[in-house]
Amino acid sequence: MADVPEESKSGNNMTDDQLTAADFQRVDLDSLATEKIDTPKYSYWGSVAKTFFSNKVTIAMLAILIVMLGMSFIQPLFSGYSLTDVGKINDLAARYQWPSAKYWFGTDADGKSLFDAIWAGARTSISIGVISTVIVTVIGVVVGAIWGVSKKIDRVMLEVYNVITNIPVLLIVIVMSYTLGNGFWNLVFAMTVTSWLGTAYSIRVYVMMYRDREYNTASRTLGTPTLRIVTRNILPYLTSVIVTQVSLSLPSFISYEVFLSFVGVGLSQNTPSLGRLINQYQTFMTSYPYLFWFPVIALALITISLYIVGQNLADASDPRTHM
Amino acid sequence: MLANGSEVETVLSIRDLAVTYGSGKSALTAVEHVNFDIHKGETFSLVGESGSGKSTIAKAVLGINPTSSGSINFEGTKINGKLPQKLRHSIDRKIQMIFQDPAASLNERATVDYIISEGLYNYHLFDSEEDRENKVRKMMEEVGLLPEQLYRYPHEFSGGQRQRIGIARALIMQPDLVVADEPISALDMSIRAQVLNLLKKFQQEAGITYLFIAHDLSVVRYISDRIAVIRRGRIVEVAETEELFTHPIHPYTQALLSAVPVPDPKLAQHKKLIVYDPKIHHYENDKPSLVEILPGHFVYCNKEEEAKYRSELAAVAN
Amino acid sequence: MSEEEQKTILKVRDLSVEFQVRGKTLKAIHHVSLDLHDGETLAIVGESGSGKSVLTKTFTGMLEQNGHVSGGTIEYNGQMLTDLKNDKQWVKIRGKEIATVFQDPMTSLDPIHTIGSQISEVIVKHQGKSKSEAKKMAIELMGRTGIPDAAERYGDYPFEYSGGMRQRIVIAIALACHPKILICDEPTTALDVTTQAQILDLIRDLKEEYHFSIIFITHDLGVVASIADRIAVMYSGRLIEVGTVDEIFYDPRHPYTWSLLSSLPQLATKDTNLYSIPGTPPSLYSEIKGDAFAPRDPYALKVDFEREPPLFKITDTHYARTWLLDPRAPKIEKPEIIQNLHERIEKQMESDFMKRAETEGEVNAS
Repeated sequence: MADVPEESKSGNNMTDDQLTAADFQRVDLDSLATEKIDTPKYSYWGSVAKTFFSNKVTIAMLAILIVMLGMSFIQPLFSGYSLTDVGKINDLAARYQWPSAKYWFGTDADGKSLFDAIWAGARTSISIGVISTVIVTVIGVVVGAIWGVSKKIDRVMLEVYNVITNIPVLLIVIVMSYTLGNGFWNLVFAMTVTSWLGTAYSIRVYVMMYRDREYNTASRTLGTPTLRIVTRNILPYLTSVIVTQVSLSLPSFISYEVFLSFVGVGLSQNTPSLGRLINQYQTFMTSYPYLFWFPVIALALITISLYIVGQNLADASDPRTHM
Repeated sequence: MLANGSEVETVLSIRDLAVTYGSGKSALTAVEHVNFDIHKGETFSLVGESGSGKSTIAKAVLGINPTSSGSINFEGTKINGKLPQKLRHSIDRKIQMIFQDPAASLNERATVDYIISEGLYNYHLFDSEEDRENKVRKMMEEVGLLPEQLYRYPHEFSGGQRQRIGIARALIMQPDLVVADEPISALDMSIRAQVLNLLKKFQQEAGITYLFIAHDLSVVRYISDRIAVIRRGRIVEVAETEELFTHPIHPYTQALLSAVPVPDPKLAQHKKLIVYDPKIHHYENDKPSLVEILPGHFVYCNKEEEAKYRSELAAVAN
Repeated sequence: MSEEEQKTILKVRDLSVEFQVRGKTLKAIHHVSLDLHDGETLAIVGESGSGKSVLTKTFTGMLEQNGHVSGGTIEYNGQMLTDLKNDKQWVKIRGKEIATVFQDPMTSLDPIHTIGSQISEVIVKHQGKSKSEAKKMAIELMGRTGIPDAAERYGDYPFEYSGGMRQRIVIAIALACHPKILICDEPTTALDVTTQAQILDLIRDLKEEYHFSIIFITHDLGVVASIADRIAVMYSGRLIEVGTVDEIFYDPRHPYTWSLLSSLPQLATKDTNLYSIPGTPPSLYSEIKGDAFAPRDPYALKVDFEREPPLFKITDTHYARTWLLDPRAPKIEKPEIIQNLHERIEKQMESDFMKRAETEGEVNAS
């Protein structure tokens, strides 16, 4: 019995006898021919984009996000909205108008268009979120990277971290805004002054995880200084970690501002923000519900779309998802 | 340590080296009483199974692991313990390492160009950007990679190609000593010969000295001049390669040799496996040490065993 | 090997396997046909990416999520394994009839359960024994696989064991349901040499005792000389040569088999140059025309780059897929270094201690 079946034949009865003697000539060996790489060329950011855009929910959320951002930063340039403008306060016809073709989101007690108010408020809220996130991320990554490679700094920083993370952030913000006074930049300062520690700590953990990997030992034997090991070998591996951090802190800073303004701490009286609008209109929740719900919906759309887009970007920037 | 040479130049000299991890009660001695010399231009192999301490010695030589006692002298300079930063940096260039796992030892987020240039950048070993790129391209050709792959990432290469990237980045530094820590054990059979031949080629061309670490004696016969067998942190036998293969004395070396697979069906059928039992040694009163039993051939034994080994050798000679 | 007609327990016919990777279809196994006889040890030799592991994973339905059998059949004892649809159907085969021992024992062991309980659990599940009976059998199995003081070590955890000991336990678990086929997927690659030799001896002894067939997967031809009855050589997802162990070692026909033998480190001495196969094996992305090995083959013919060679028959047991066997091909001898393999290795060992140890053993015995 044959170990290998039918397919094998003794060579003579080939089906393809168009082969000639010339086909059986020896060929010289090109030893580099097989060194060519046949795997498709891989680009990290290209693969990130491909993975990111392959998700339909993400694209929908991204569209919402772009509309919200666009409106927040462009519409106020034309609307001339001012929170303190009380020009129409005595124009009874303009006050408390329900949403209509003229006033899409209706008007409030001062006769101001809610549509204008929401975009002006969203601009402030988003700006605070973005600026705070940038500050926290930059400081957090830099400090975390140093923290992760230096044993001396680690000992000190751990103590600092343990003490400060045990103080409620709300307490710090309230104390800060009473001492510094209310205002846009004061609020940004109050919100970021300690929260970068959280980012720094998580970066530290990852740096410590990667720093003793063999490829870093290899760099050390090549005489690479620690600073370059961090920037060239470790931080590039943390892209998805950093994107995750950003995608979490952006919506959370926005919500935080809303919460603070809602309880009346933080921004100065003349700065419109989503939090202030929600605070201001909460009394109309039953009488003129549109005044309360439109800002809440705007806030929800911004934070949810930011969160989902950010999480999917973080997933996409993890090379393991690139298969 | 060598029988017949007074003019051989010693590149690396290890004396009474011990490496201990941890301290106090939890202290763990990884290696102790390690003594050997490596001569210029030779391949010295350190063979032992996992946990024998062979990689610990390698890392101590590279200055990655701190040593607890003894000395490591490299080209006449003591290189273990605290060193001035400048000296450390200049020695780091001269001692390079080839790693076992080509998948774990390359930075996945860097191009081949950066990986091979990394050492050049650190020591400014080039005149201009063009000079650097030429050097890298030439090195890639030497290890059989295509220069057009300069901007590829490591994971696009096969295991054997990655290992050649690892060799390229070490050898572009023009080191005097290369520590090769099991450089072929993670590779396929068909690729191993390639890497061994490549290492040999560089040795012949540039006179590089190798400290070659392996767990398998079959591999080192071809590449080594001398072999040290290490078990549980102690060197049990040192000899020239052919001497070790023909006259292994320590029972552990014999066990290692008997475990080498025989690639011949007829012979493999009646091959006997020798199992080493450490209980055969009685070192309670008669303490062992590394004894030069034949010129250049050292065995770890006590007085009683030494007498036994000598009588065995005499019997074989007759 | 033997004169009597051997029973075939596993019949693979024209098997192909495909994977979906980043939207591309990659073919990992190309039309492989292979038989496994009852009670034999079949070694499958090939480098990583040759498809040797993928092939055997199809026998137990353990292909990765993105892979599937795209053609051909696998028949086990009259049952079409390629017709099995889901895990529920596979459970009757996997482990029970065909068991696998993997390279890394830790992947098969549960770190939070004792070794003994992992073995007896399998016995209870597959053989329906009572708990105390299963424990007795487990301890016996541990003893058989070379665990000293098995009864005392029944309650140990995997992390307390060395790699070799763990592999013994994995083998014990695999044997607990008396499988007909034991697939050993590079079982010794991660182990030390002395342990490797011991595990090989163990597998050989257990096979005599329990009468199963073995499929032994490895990339090291040196290892299989002592254990295999037949050898199948794979390259780039294709079966390129199959024959008895003697045929593959003493009369190899495919240039790739020649290269594998020539590059064995045991053949090289200090002064000769070790033969090395040039280049790199093709990846799954490579477009292959003709013989997959041709670009690395010093004996390649023009036709090798144009048309894939058929499987030529050399003897009833020996087949090779190379155009060199075509009558129109030029006569090419295998490389010199492997021409007298047996004599060469015997001579090498003559000066060696091994030979000495053997003769000494005889002297002592007499």
